[in-house]
Amino acid sequence: MSESVIEVRNLSKVYRDFWGRPKVRALNSLSLDVKKGEIFGLLGPNGSGKTTTLKLLLGLLFPTEGQVRILGRPAEDVEKNERIGYLPEESYLYRFLNADETLDFYGRLFKMSSAERRQRRDDLIKLVKLEHARKRQLKEYSKGMTRRIGLAQALINDPELVLLDEPTSGLDPLGTRDMKDMILELRDRGKTVVMCSHLLADVQDVCDRIAILFRGELKVLGSVQELLEAKDETQIMTSHLSEEAKREVEEVLKKHGATVKSVSHPTATLEDLFLRTVAESESRPGRRFEPGERPSTENA
Amino acid sequence: MIHEVPIFHVDGAILAWAIVFVICLAVALLVGFVASLSAYGLGGPKMFVRILTGGLRDLIQVSPRRIGAIATLTFKEALRRKAFLIGLLFLVLFMFGGWFLSGTDLDKPAKPYVAFVMTAMSFLLILMSLLISCWGLPADIKDRSLHTVVTKPVRRSEIVIGRMLGYSTVLTIILVLTSLLGYAWIRRQVPDAAQNQLIARVPVYGQISFVDRNGEPARSGVNVGDIWEYRSFIEGGTKARAFWVFENLNVDTLRRAGNLRLEQSFEAFRTYKGKVDEEIRYSLWLLNPEKDLRVLVDRYPVREFTTDVSDAVVEIPAELPSSDSDGGTVNVFDDLMPNGKLVVEVACVDEQQYLGTAQNDLFVRMPDRTFLGAYAKASIGLWLMLVLIVMIGTTASCFVKGPVATLLTATAIFVGYVFKGQLNEMLLQLQSKGQILGGGTLESVYRIFTRMNQTTPLPENAGTDLIKSLDQGGFGMLRVINLIMPDLTYFNTTQYPANGFDVPFANVLLPSILITLGYFLPLVILGYFSLQLRELEHK
Repeated sequence: MSESVIEVRNLSKVYRDFWGRPKVRALNSLSLDVKKGEIFGLLGPNGSGKTTTLKLLLGLLFPTEGQVRILGRPAEDVEKNERIGYLPEESYLYRFLNADETLDFYGRLFKMSSAERRQRRDDLIKLVKLEHARKRQLKEYSKGMTRRIGLAQALINDPELVLLDEPTSGLDPLGTRDMKDMILELRDRGKTVVMCSHLLADVQDVCDRIAILFRGELKVLGSVQELLEAKDETQIMTSHLSEEAKREVEEVLKKHGATVKSVSHPTATLEDLFLRTVAESESRPGRRFEPGERPSTENA
Repeated sequence: MIHEVPIFHVDGAILAWAIVFVICLAVALLVGFVASLSAYGLGGPKMFVRILTGGLRDLIQVSPRRIGAIATLTFKEALRRKAFLIGLLFLVLFMFGGWFLSGTDLDKPAKPYVAFVMTAMSFLLILMSLLISCWGLPADIKDRSLHTVVTKPVRRSEIVIGRMLGYSTVLTIILVLTSLLGYAWIRRQVPDAAQNQLIARVPVYGQISFVDRNGEPARSGVNVGDIWEYRSFIEGGTKARAFWVFENLNVDTLRRAGNLRLEQSFEAFRTYKGKVDEEIRYSLWLLNPEKDLRVLVDRYPVREFTTDVSDAVVEIPAELPSSDSDGGTVNVFDDLMPNGKLVVEVACVDEQQYLGTAQNDLFVRMPDRTFLGAYAKASIGLWLMLVLIVMIGTTASCFVKGPVATLLTATAIFVGYVFKGQLNEMLLQLQSKGQILGGGTLESVYRIFTRMNQTTPLPENAGTDLIKSLDQGGFGMLRVINLIMPDLTYFNTTQYPANGFDVPFANVLLPSILITLGYFLPLVILGYFSLQLRELEHK
């Protein structure tokens, strides 16, 4: 994890009006590195400059100041795109093509033989679970399906670096989970992923390192683990304890000078509950849950 | 009548292209260099060189595979968006067009049908080429579909060429289908009696000269007061003559045909009523100045009272009686056409009547070709124009939005098709006389406001000097526009099959091919840099 895949130095972007007068400074002296094999998250509220950063990396915008190198090449170099995959914020694909044609078209833009393209297309359609809709034109797709085919086109060339702009936007919880799993799988296969999102839970789930931008400036940069870890507190999780056992544990902790701030049952995330409910419903059709009853974790 | 296009000199045209191309390139480089300096200061030239070398690489290292992919995408887009439905519009036109066309041209009953098909195809396909080429790329940029393409290893030059190729393919298919449909319709609709007019005559035109009533060489014949100075008149019963010299005739082809055919469209002008049931006549001689031979062919009536085109042909047998009194004969091909050169002399027979002649009123009619061939060649001419429009439209759409690109391309078509001839004439007048009657724009405005006619000299003062100087600048701009805008008059092939002529290759099809090819490289370069230097995501 030492080789830099992306190097950004003092990158600034000023949007100008028709007369060339500065209108908005969207990015201000951003410097960061993205290492090989990591999942890097760009966070920030709307208008913080994360999408602008991504577009500067891709050469869709020209920097006002600063330099960008991706995979050792300048951002405007077309050759670098051989090793890059990009999923835009909205999946701006050709709506009159079907899934097969879409992947075949993007495949033809790379040095891929017809057989390779066919194989890759079939694998990706299976990966994004669109086998049932591969012959339908994209204009008939739901937003979630469009995101999936968008991801498939980003991966058509088996890229070393994948840039994802709001990858989970518009997806239902199942789709979101699938997307996050796919991102993690990409990292496991040695790919580098850069994603920008304002859905913090998603970023926390998958990213190794993050950068938080605010009004075009870098505010925080570091590993998720290190940034979120509260080193002055300790959390111990056990199986269920009786009231008496809890009191005894508290006594022991007090003896060591620790302050017990709260004692409670851990809660699952809403995402977990939703996924378990769907999985249980799929395995046992017609099953209804009583008030207060929770689906089991077996099928999740 | 065929509207003659200017004679096209291939060598001169290629040289002119090279000069204009180099000048445009030099101006573009200079502007780019200055712009880089003003925008980026001392770092500008370095960036300028980087963009230039990158551009050169992108223009040379284009990938046929990626161009093919983009062209296929463009084709599918047109297919799925039902662009081919325009064929149905043709069907409707053809279904009902015949109702309104029969009997509209008594002289040439087949002409309206052919002209209708060719004109309908031209208008609809030109409109279509304009719209699809000007709106496709801006729509891609607006929908951001292009973002997923430019973030692949695709060079912008490949996008420009791919788009051009895709649109051209769509239009080619539509043109082929509508041409076939149109041909079948013409064959079906043209009345049986006029089917013989569906031919492709191959004319060879000569150079005309005159002698006056005293037998002295003259610049032209007599003006009989006709405001249209196309024809010049020769007086009957005098020594006034019109001579045509035809060069480079293919004697072997004519010999195989067995006779020499001349076709005329002279006009009679009567100074008095005369015999109203008899046509004015002209006599026709064939000359060989080298052998001092002058053979009278015959006397023929001018087509005053007929609408039949077939009697406009003068068929001259291979052997003609000699003018000498020995009763011998003269072989037309051996004795009167040395090295493929033929001289024809025409005189008006009737005294005090006049014969109207123009250079193209008499031509040697080589063996006819098939109407299908002429129709196909005319369709090729139209196809070349569509390709050129697609190239201009696609390039315009690289730097402006759809409506502006449409306006820009439409202007180019309009200027190239309608005004190019006038523009040429005006600039030639300026070049030869140093001024234009009535002056330039500002001088014209000045004359309107001061109620001064075109021929009155302007008063000499500083104001009028300034007006003249500014007008000279305007003429300079017109010269530049004239050099840059394509001359689309060569592409007007409709008139040939409609009038029963073959489409000449050397003077119509070849210029069209060369003009289309000549614009390809400059337009691709312009389109590439427009797209390359454009921030696709600019807010």
